[in-house]
Amino acid sequence: MRAWLWWVGLFVVVTVVLRASRDGLDVAHAVLTYLLVMLGGSVSGGRPLGFTLTGAGVLSLDFFFQTPYDTLTVAKPLDGFVLLAFMTTAAVTTELLAAERARAAEAELLAAERTRLIAAAEHAEALREADRLKDVVLASVSHDLRTPLTTIKALAQAGARQGDQNAIAIEEQADRLARLVADLLDLSRLQGGALPVHPEPNTAEDLVGAALRQVAGLLGDRTVETKIDFTEPALVGRFDFVQTLRILTNLVGNAIQYSPSQSPIELSVERDGDNLMFAVADRGPGIAPADRERIFEPFYRPASAVAGSGAGLGLAIARRLAELQRGTIEYAERPGGGSIFVLRLPADGAPEPL
Amino acid sequence: MATPRARALLIIEDDLPIRRALKNALGDVADRVLEAATGRAGIDLTATERPDLVVLDLGLPDIQGVAVCREIRTWSPVPIVVLSARHSDAEKVQVLNAGADDYVTKPFSTPEFVARVRAVLRRARLAAGENAATIVEAYGLTIDLARRRVERGGSLIRLTPIEWDILRTLVVHAGRTLTHQQIFDAVWGAAAGSPQQYLRVHITNLRRKIEAHADRPELVVTEPGVGYRAELPG
Repeated sequence: MRAWLWWVGLFVVVTVVLRASRDGLDVAHAVLTYLLVMLGGSVSGGRPLGFTLTGAGVLSLDFFFQTPYDTLTVAKPLDGFVLLAFMTTAAVTTELLAAERARAAEAELLAAERTRLIAAAEHAEALREADRLKDVVLASVSHDLRTPLTTIKALAQAGARQGDQNAIAIEEQADRLARLVADLLDLSRLQGGALPVHPEPNTAEDLVGAALRQVAGLLGDRTVETKIDFTEPALVGRFDFVQTLRILTNLVGNAIQYSPSQSPIELSVERDGDNLMFAVADRGPGIAPADRERIFEPFYRPASAVAGSGAGLGLAIARRLAELQRGTIEYAERPGGGSIFVLRLPADGAPEPL
Repeated sequence: MATPRARALLIIEDDLPIRRALKNALGDVADRVLEAATGRAGIDLTATERPDLVVLDLGLPDIQGVAVCREIRTWSPVPIVVLSARHSDAEKVQVLNAGADDYVTKPFSTPEFVARVRAVLRRARLAAGENAATIVEAYGLTIDLARRRVERGGSLIRLTPIEWDILRTLVVHAGRTLTHQQIFDAVWGAAAGSPQQYLRVHITNLRRKIEAHADRPELVVTEPGVGYRAELPG
């Protein structure tokens, strides 16, 4: 807007000055002066200002500087030619200048974009490097912690064989530490997107069998009642077997820990639309409404949590693992008391056995 | 346990405290327990001392454990039990495919480790005896390998040819974890183009026919992320 004020103002001043000395001037002087003003306007104000000044120049030349003065008539063919020449020259230069300005602006944009891309690439490279370093650190921490833990366990077991009562506690605590280390590493890998999940067609029964085998040590004389329809073809889902096994053993393990020892735990699997639905139900105290979402947050332990049971990472890891496989984990209140944890995972079109 | 003592075992492990702990634990299993702190020394000792079993750590300073396993396998059928600190399933699969007989993940419990070593030794002796049993009886099942028959309580269980091949492969290698790939190659042949995931469905169907409770399998057990194993009692 400043450019308009400036150049239109200059145009008016030039017109007044030229008009005052009109009698001593040739038309060509006015034409050249207007061209200069128009060029300046084009450079600083672009096409609109350039064309406006061009139009004003044509009118002003005809009105003030071509005889008969102070009318808009074109008396001689030469006058018409002068006006046409002025208009053409002005229009072409305005157009050229505008195109050049656009190219310059574009080049500037491109340069900025390039700088941005280079910066982004450098940033990505730095992130990749940081990520790689993190993996290396995690792997080596994992290895370095496991090695002494293995030794501690081996020595504790040797002590226990010789009747040292403390040795059993040492071994239990070493196990607890090993689990905590593993959970922390996995949580950090999950949050960094570095824990690979490979969903493949697997059967629900295979998973349930493996989960029951893993929790057998926690069960004692308790039982897990399974509900699977063996008359139907095997339920096949698309999930990562090892990671899903972790989810399921975590849910069953919680059920064992939080429900009275004489009450059974139910584990059922059925097809639910496009999903397989695993449900782990217990007769424990259930979860208070305020805690039902928070139990899936890392490190959150409700007031009712069993002392010394863990760091509150199990469900957070479980939910993240389920989500990575396009699945969900939800809590539901169990009619008649207790909790139901429902794991949903994508079902697979059951392949025809060969 | 009625297992006779082994003559010599070899532990290839760079961490001294673990090596000592393992040596103590294996004292009841063998007359002599040899030790090597590097892969190179382990390979040399395997060649010169001809141990009955090798315990191999995967995180050795000089050579990758998998490479040690492959190297030994090129000239010796000695049973190999692998110790792995990384809980990477891909690595277990790799080392089993490379010819290891079993693996234990650190931190492991000593009794479990000793039990695995004994089981692998027992199996190796049976295999060396050549006249391995052709009739296997377990969990109320009678599996007649020669006549390709499975019975429970005198009544015949009908298996499809593929189910039979899977069962036979696992039972012949009872106690040993076979990777999905190894079972697949044994049943379908290495040239078959059939996707491996069918294996899981066939295993599930097989269990429904032969296990007392298909969702709590006793004979055909899953090694998560690795493969399957036939577990015979005793």
